[in-house]
Amino acid sequence: MSTAAHAPASSNPSRRDWRAFFTRHEMLLLYVLIAEWLFFYFAGTSTNRRGVIVGFGTWDRQFDILRHSCEIGLLALALTPVIITAGIDLSVGSLLGLCAILFGKLWHDGGLAIPVAIGLTLGIGALAGALNAILITALRLPPLIVTLGTYSLFRGLAEAITRGSITYTDFPETFLFIGQERWLGLPTQAWVFLMVALAMGLLVHRTTFGRAFRTIGLAPEGARYAGLPVERRLALVYVLAGLIAAIAAIIYTARLGQAKADAGTGYELFAITAVVLGGTSIFGGKGTIVGTLLGVAAIAVLKNGLACLPVVMRLNAAEEMSGLLTGALLLVALTASVLPKILSNLRPRRHTATQSTPPLSP
Amino acid sequence: MSSPLLALRQLVKNYGGVRALRGVDFDLHPGEVHALLGENGAGKSTLIKIVTGAHAPDGGTITLAGQPVADLTPASARALGIACIYQQPALFPDLTVAENLALRLDSTTAHTRVDWTARRNRATSLLARIGAAISPDTEVSALSMPEQQLVEIACALGSGARIVIMDEPTASLTQKEQHLLYAVVHDLRKNGVGIIYISHRLEEIFALADRVTVLRDGQSVGTHAVGDINEAGLIRLMVGREVAQIYPAAESAPGATVLSLRGLGCTASGVHDVSFDVRAGEIFGLGGLVGAGRTELARILFGLTPADSGQITLTGETLHLRSPQDAVAHGIAYVPEDRRRHGIVLELPIAQNITMAVHRRLFPTTWLRFGAERALALDYIRDLAVKCAGPDAPGSSLSGGNQQKVALSRWLATRPKLLVLDEPTQGVDIGAKSEIHKIIRRLAEEGLAVILISSDLPEVIGMSDRIGVMAHGTLRAILPGGSDPHTVMAAALGTAA
Repeated sequence: MSTAAHAPASSNPSRRDWRAFFTRHEMLLLYVLIAEWLFFYFAGTSTNRRGVIVGFGTWDRQFDILRHSCEIGLLALALTPVIITAGIDLSVGSLLGLCAILFGKLWHDGGLAIPVAIGLTLGIGALAGALNAILITALRLPPLIVTLGTYSLFRGLAEAITRGSITYTDFPETFLFIGQERWLGLPTQAWVFLMVALAMGLLVHRTTFGRAFRTIGLAPEGARYAGLPVERRLALVYVLAGLIAAIAAIIYTARLGQAKADAGTGYELFAITAVVLGGTSIFGGKGTIVGTLLGVAAIAVLKNGLACLPVVMRLNAAEEMSGLLTGALLLVALTASVLPKILSNLRPRRHTATQSTPPLSP
Repeated sequence: MSSPLLALRQLVKNYGGVRALRGVDFDLHPGEVHALLGENGAGKSTLIKIVTGAHAPDGGTITLAGQPVADLTPASARALGIACIYQQPALFPDLTVAENLALRLDSTTAHTRVDWTARRNRATSLLARIGAAISPDTEVSALSMPEQQLVEIACALGSGARIVIMDEPTASLTQKEQHLLYAVVHDLRKNGVGIIYISHRLEEIFALADRVTVLRDGQSVGTHAVGDINEAGLIRLMVGREVAQIYPAAESAPGATVLSLRGLGCTASGVHDVSFDVRAGEIFGLGGLVGAGRTELARILFGLTPADSGQITLTGETLHLRSPQDAVAHGIAYVPEDRRRHGIVLELPIAQNITMAVHRRLFPTTWLRFGAERALALDYIRDLAVKCAGPDAPGSSLSGGNQQKVALSRWLATRPKLLVLDEPTQGVDIGAKSEIHKIIRRLAEEGLAVILISSDLPEVIGMSDRIGVMAHGTLRAILPGGSDPHTVMAAALGTAA
């Protein structure tokens, strides 16, 4: 009897798995990304008067996209586990600014060696994340409100330290190498980004921590009843978010060669957009690191590709267009993800309607 | 006597395969207090839901003052003068008493001026009628539970209710407040209002009611004038049936004491002075009515609401359980009552549900081992005969009984010393129920100490080696397994029958 129950179940899903793989959110996003890239490759590449290829279709431009995606990409990686636990962290962009300033101050005013200053900055980032974590887990305050508070607090601290005017510059060449040069063929910071992506991928998908994040996101009470250490796991995601925001701050400073109090303003919203675009449910329990990477790429390609389009260049409206299209892309992606559910809900309802009508007519 | 205010004939209601009501007759006359009595799950709530229009019956007729009513909805029931006062008053906490009354009583037309004076005057006069000293401008959240109930009653009066249903109205009242309520009931009755009164307090029924109807298994087993029946007679009617099902019997004697509770209490959850021992291989049943404090006791044992008095000893070691992790670490497992919210995570695959409490043992390096997880899940799926498409199927794809088996598997995988089962067969079909019974007995035979909380009287009597009966947050009696159901029910009701 049990074999009879198993046989149809095991033969069917294998075929469904195969179809499900190509229609899952990450794959759809990959198609969008490829389409985007091809469009900009053909529409945004041209040859200038000296016969040199310029625009989107050059290696320089591709590396540029990668270089510019690292900071928002890192924040998106930090936010993925946070959002999987059905939380949110609005403070990462402000923390990036605060960490950039503190790093500059430690090096410039504190006279510390760059590696020491980096180490201390990462520690400060983790501590700032721990502040969020304590408020959220120990005092059980809602993450949205807590991080809205620290969003203002961290930026305010950065402004206060610099009194709104100091900018730290003149960093040594060896430090700027991280943000402005290439190493092993790729922009240096891309290696940091990829390593963090790999680490987060393993954490979220291959360890019991990731399991716990997902379970907490789906059913926080259910997780508690299963004996999972809900508070400690929640604390971990916010501390990690703080740490990664500090890494992003170092890279940001190295790329621009200066540390300013307004570094990373608004980045948290770009990062959240990328995470949600990547298929992570804002209600928690669902999401992948691969999805987040694709979400970051889709936004970055869109933004940079637009700047290469002749029409947009003539209008000088790259910023406006990219904001508009990123928004449209997110809304379309969200609609597409709920559309199959809505359609399948419609169908059976029509069925019951037709079934219930015949008895009425005779 | 006049023609009945309310007459229910052959009322039938099914929920899926569960027959909640199977042909119930019930009459209510003007000026009568008609008590409704029955065990948990006997069909009282279903009956109330049908009369208030919340659920439609699957069969039978409802007649109101001689007029047959079909398609009763909550709104039409209210318009016909049926009001219900629930145990937990359903008022808006942030609005004032007068506003709450207006919301219920005023017609809902937009764009009319609010006549605050009239609202306040009406509230004052309604509250005065029932002798409640409550200002109409008080916010409901500032009122005590009994005061809120009084507001509900005022609301029923204001709507001109002819039929008032009171669902365990005195459950949370002090002695003094109870007497106030009794006075209100007498007043209502004098005004020709018919009252359906639900209560587990037998003395209250004898003091207040004119007639009493006992429900059992969705059927009315008799309507009596309260003068014609005594407490023992009522209990006999409530329990009635023989323990028909066959329960697996214990084959070996229990071993050493595993759990020992002494004077255990928790102020926050209302549990106090609980003392008993559970031995290895023993099934210790916990009987009692809903709200007697059994789940609250289980939550203490699982560290969800830590105890603030008394002592918990597990295999000789005194425990201070501050969190579920503490409980799990010491070998205590708890299969909770609310299976769909707490027992399993519906969206997750069966395998992940089963391994959820053994992460540390199964994945000692924190790296997931999918093969080991699958193997463990398959073991339990086979062992407990979980009917499913495979270990990757989500929990939501399972029937209630199979979800319960998955919830049970999760805790068996922790190899516990003490297993606390809270209503393990609630909402489970008959076949799965007897399978779960066999599993529980087998686990006890293997040397596990089991605490079985059940509101199903035959189950708790049939399964348990000893039965602890709880009432009002404390242990009232410890009875031998297979005790007379009447004795158990009498202890649960807090009477000496």
